[in-house]
Amino acid sequence: MVAETKGLARAREIYQDRPRRAKELKAEGKKIVGYPCIYSPSEMMTALDLVPYRIFGDMKEPTAEADRGLPAAFCPIMRSCLHLGLKGSYDFLDGMVVAHSCDAQEKTVHVWECLISSPYFHFLDVPGTVHKASQDYFKEGLKDLKKTLESFAGKELSSEKLKRAIEAHNQQRSLVREMYELRKPDPPLISGTETLQVIKALMSIPVEEGNELLKQVITEVKERKDGPQKKPARLLIWSSTIDDISLIEIIETAEANLVVDDHCGGTRAYWTDVKLTEDPIDGLAYHYLVELRCPRTYMDAVYGETSKDYMADLESRFGYIKDYAKGWNVNGVILQSVRYCDCHGFEAPQIKDYLDSLGLPNTYLEHDYSEGALAALRTRVQAFVEMIG
Amino acid sequence: MATEEKKKAISRLKSMYPLRAEVDKSYQKSVEAMRAGKPVAWAMVNWWEGDVILKAMDLEVVYPENFGTVCASAGIAESYLDRADADGFPTHLCGYSRNTFGYTSRMMKEFGGEIPPEAPMGGMPKPVLLLASDIICDARYKWFQALGRYMGVPVWTLEMPIPGVKELFMEGVYERCINFMVKELREFVTFLERLLGRKMDWSILDETVNTTIELNRVWHEVNELRKAKPCPMHSRDFWSAMPASFFLLGDVKDTLELYRDIYNEVKYRVDNHIGAIAEEKYRLAFSELPPWHSLGFFDRLAERGWNFVIESWAYHPPIPIDLSGVSDPLERIARLTFQSQVGYFEGAMKEREYFGYMGYPYLVYAREYKYDGAFLHPLITCRSASTHLKYVQEMLMRKVKVPSIVIEGDIVDLRLFDPADALSKAEPFEETMEHYKKVRKEEGFDW
Ligand code: SF4
Ligand code: SF4
Repeated sequence: MVAETKGLARAREIYQDRPRRAKELKAEGKKIVGYPCIYSPSEMMTALDLVPYRIFGDMKEPTAEADRGLPAAFCPIMRSCLHLGLKGSYDFLDGMVVAHSCDAQEKTVHVWECLISSPYFHFLDVPGTVHKASQDYFKEGLKDLKKTLESFAGKELSSEKLKRAIEAHNQQRSLVREMYELRKPDPPLISGTETLQVIKALMSIPVEEGNELLKQVITEVKERKDGPQKKPARLLIWSSTIDDISLIEIIETAEANLVVDDHCGGTRAYWTDVKLTEDPIDGLAYHYLVELRCPRTYMDAVYGETSKDYMADLESRFGYIKDYAKGWNVNGVILQSVRYCDCHGFEAPQIKDYLDSLGLPNTYLEHDYSEGALAALRTRVQAFVEMIG
Repeated sequence: MATEEKKKAISRLKSMYPLRAEVDKSYQKSVEAMRAGKPVAWAMVNWWEGDVILKAMDLEVVYPENFGTVCASAGIAESYLDRADADGFPTHLCGYSRNTFGYTSRMMKEFGGEIPPEAPMGGMPKPVLLLASDIICDARYKWFQALGRYMGVPVWTLEMPIPGVKELFMEGVYERCINFMVKELREFVTFLERLLGRKMDWSILDETVNTTIELNRVWHEVNELRKAKPCPMHSRDFWSAMPASFFLLGDVKDTLELYRDIYNEVKYRVDNHIGAIAEEKYRLAFSELPPWHSLGFFDRLAERGWNFVIESWAYHPPIPIDLSGVSDPLERIARLTFQSQVGYFEGAMKEREYFGYMGYPYLVYAREYKYDGAFLHPLITCRSASTHLKYVQEMLMRKVKVPSIVIEGDIVDLRLFDPADALSKAEPFEETMEHYKKVRKEEGFDW
């Protein structure tokens, strides 16, 4: 079915009913492959004509079903995903490619694999460090993924096809960055809420369709006159996954514009291109293990250093956040995490140290990924915005 | 006296006491060595992957996870937790990590790197190395990384490949994992040599690895004997004896002899049908870490005929594999550690139970140890020890009709475990176990 709406309206439409387009494609004979985290290389799926479809939770729904397989004191996002899986919301998926990103996710997907049957399920191990041996190990793991995907898709994946898919995904990355450029002016031309709707839409449709959507969005945003208003606070948000606009609206209904972000429902999947190497899997391995910036990976300032300089460590790990802050002229940072997220929870105080050293006002907020958490978050955000305003 | 009789509800192994004394002595020796200025590493529990190497390099090793238990039992953890909170660490993080942050913050900010006076059991001296590990839980490397806030100590993170159950059996994957570990371990040795300014004595390493492998084999055999009916060794003895193998405490050769003594005593009991409790009415599994401060509840349950015959997978030695033909000691370490994590994957694959390491082993245990119920003890601030328990509960019922009882506890907030509550649930759970005994019989199970 050809999309009738375009640009931002289309993105909003997909955001509001993500499975619809996937189900249409399925009816046309496409296979839809779910992935819960950006560490699953979508390029391989695209190259085999499979549709990569990001699995998200739904913070508006209680997670009762998840009790069958997970404890209550556990990453609420993962609980929500499992809940939706168990109640059948993801039944239209033909397969799953899951990665060992964080441990909460790794353990959840094992439970998922046991309790929800699926014609295809591949678990990709991801090392904790970026050492050379880790990169080699990871590359071989990607080759295994390629093998099982090939037999699932019933066709071979040539280097050429994979390179073309990487190019298409790189084009998407570059278009996303172009969209983020539109948030540099004051006021930004596109809001954080709209941006999240676009990103979530991109993660629900084939890459070429997503690229088309992005071009429409960019043109529309450049031409329109009714974009966001100028506000005193220009904020950056660093966070565990954000997949619901209500978390962004809290900021944008206060006296603040959210102008840039660092989380996996935002820039994280798009900030660097996959290098086009002779063996395309080399580029993928390097990108997914070394270049993706998520706290799940252990990074050192200097590999094998026998002394430790905390500030140098912070600079090497979080220097890119300084670049965001400068580039987008940010005057405050919200650090946010869901409860029970170890990766972000351990990282937050260190980022805070770093931001303090730069003199950038910041605040840490935590929530349980439920609608009930929004009121308290709103109060905290307002207080922070007033403080920097 | 009633209390006297109660104490005897579990017949403890005599051979366990000398081993335990060795464990306690080794803590003491370690404290003395550290006081005398011997370099210290803080290490995460690493299933021997790094421990054997640290031992061969003659570093004194302390385990902040273990120190968390010590602080909790000594009643000092709370003040360290408060301090970690004040320093901005979220309260939902691993309790042991927060204890370490509070402790380190106090040591570095108030005592210039010296051990704070209130620290229990000699405290943890400032280390020259933080040895992190990515086995099982992210906290175990994120936590050491975050210690950079307090002290400029280098961190090394041990890698542990952990493919999925199906993926492990793809061509070449097993050996690739071993190669990866060996390469990493070689880098680790080079790093240690640079850090300490001395060379590895490979013959010492060789010997230490062999003793560790043998020690684990004997300890495994001891636990195999517990399949007998009545079960000759209760969980309390397991928990008392476990640290010697798990943390490689003391002289490993001495420890090996002491485990052999335990083997002999348990074997004697099996041969003579002597159980660990007077009348074994119910056989149970226990998971996760026990509530160390109120182990007495095991005795109360023993009086009711509850015998705990097997415990948490993570603290058990791996199923032995023959490593005698492997000449490189680093490869032997890699294979031992890898086996500890994936040793049950083959069965898991056949049974399509894809939570192959933390979860599936309980199903194997149920059939082999023929337990009637699982006592699950999720630990609120230790996610990794708790994540699999819901699944274990579900799997045991689905596959073998074994019921579970769930009683929450914690690793640092000891008040969370309520022994009275646990005991009040004993009687209804006995009815449940009785019911499922019948169900299993009807469905053709042999226990
Ligand atoms: S929020 Fe944290 S624990 Fe949850 S999936 Fe993301 S990184 Fe993992
Ligand atoms: S969460 Fe548990 S396994 Fe992980 S570091 Fe803490 S105590 Fe250890």
